[in-house]
Amino acid sequence: MIRIGNASGFYGDRFSAVREMLTGGDLDVLTGDYLAELTMLILGRDRAKDASLGYARTFLRQLEENLADALARGVKIVSNAGGLNPEGLAEAVDRLGLGAEVAYVTGDDVRDRFPDALTANAYLGAWGIAECLGAGADVVVTGRVTDASLVVGPAAAHFGWRRDDFDALAGATVAGHVLECGTQATGGNYSFFTSIDATRPGFPIAEVEADGSSVITKHDGTGGAVTVDTVTAQLLYEIGPPAYLGPDVVSHFDTIRLDPHERGVRISGVKGSPPPDTLKVCLNELGGFRNSTTFVLTGLDVGAKADLVHRQLESAVGAEGLTWTLARTDHPDADTEETASALLHVTIKTSDPKRAKAFSRAGVELALASYPGFHVTAPPGDGTPYGVYRAAYVPRSSVPHRAVLPDGKVVEV
Amino acid sequence: MRVPLGTIAGARSGDKGGDANLGVWVRTDAQYEWLRAELTVARLKELLPEAGEVDRYELPNLKALNFVLHGLLGEGVSSSTRFDPQAKALGEWLRSRHVEIPEELR
Repeated sequence: MIRIGNASGFYGDRFSAVREMLTGGDLDVLTGDYLAELTMLILGRDRAKDASLGYARTFLRQLEENLADALARGVKIVSNAGGLNPEGLAEAVDRLGLGAEVAYVTGDDVRDRFPDALTANAYLGAWGIAECLGAGADVVVTGRVTDASLVVGPAAAHFGWRRDDFDALAGATVAGHVLECGTQATGGNYSFFTSIDATRPGFPIAEVEADGSSVITKHDGTGGAVTVDTVTAQLLYEIGPPAYLGPDVVSHFDTIRLDPHERGVRISGVKGSPPPDTLKVCLNELGGFRNSTTFVLTGLDVGAKADLVHRQLESAVGAEGLTWTLARTDHPDADTEETASALLHVTIKTSDPKRAKAFSRAGVELALASYPGFHVTAPPGDGTPYGVYRAAYVPRSSVPHRAVLPDGKVVEV
Repeated sequence: MRVPLGTIAGARSGDKGGDANLGVWVRTDAQYEWLRAELTVARLKELLPEAGEVDRYELPNLKALNFVLHGLLGEGVSSSTRFDPQAKALGEWLRSRHVEIPEELR
């Protein structure tokens, strides 16, 4: 059995979770997921400003605080915090000077095939991570690997799974899917939160067996709960058809068996089948500029008030690219001002940054010249660039998947 | 009697690019048989009129249904002008809708 914990479900998750997971009980591997579609866009903007960035900086600060402890305890660290620059993050971890064996996984950047994209990253699988751990790495940082690979890689390395051990890979993928969003598996954001103590859920752990089955649990004494219901909730997060496609295996979610276990929930029975010949690519392109404001419409004539401000703003900045939403949150004859009020949201999306900025000025200039009771929830800003996400697919054979081992040796995975 | 769907069903929702996913589950086999029959794509669209094209998948092993609401989030979270651009609360909205749930299943 290998005990794999998680200490992060996104870039910005609980900073102290790394320490909590290292000191709260036994672990073999501690993983952290820092990447989402939107995060790739945010990191892409970081990288555009400074090519030495593009990774999750909080992860580095967490290692500054905890890496010596992890090394002393023999806990391996595996994270996709490398984002768009795993090499840069690996060098930064080296510079912490704690003597850790640091390896990284790269090759996911496929911008050469999508020249208009700000970021273009293929979702790599688990085998690069397994290669690094097999070579004795204490810390493995990656770019865009699938979230579940952070669990599958360590389990595959530990048990010596082969590439066609599809049932075991699928079982570990399901465990990885449960862990990838941190406390969403342990009672965070849980529909039946009133039935548990959801104040400060502990982060999840998967005890993975040689056949890929697992027990989902958490450290003793931590908050939240691991029950068939909390695990079911997380299994249903961000999925599509029951055949869950991944770069290493197709995991059949309609074969998952969940049973209560004395320390949490046992996952078994998961069937796997060969993966597709293509890899999914996360593409972020610059869409243009956006700006928004929310007008508060209180009391009588809400519809007519909305019409007036709508006409006024359109005549100032033009109708093109404006999206209006009137939320009738108002109640008649209300006994608080807020519940007497409706909200009129308007967003401009435009290719012209000047027009996004003019939108704010036009909104402000209405302050004494519009509907009675005019005010906004917050003054509009200057506008910001926005990204457009899309998925693409490329042949697996066209994407290099490289493990760069602690001694600098490069292995084509 | 009409009661909120969330009286018996849990839900979790989120984003995949411009699509939203919405998983709904219940705790007993009898509840699942009811849910499977009740919560068709047409019924989901009645309860969530903002939904456009919807796919539905059955996961009897989890006593769950999974819905994919295509295009609800436009071109993804950074671009979406929706109130909840990552569809985080779509599931809680659905749970709050009132439906006829047989007394013995509650």
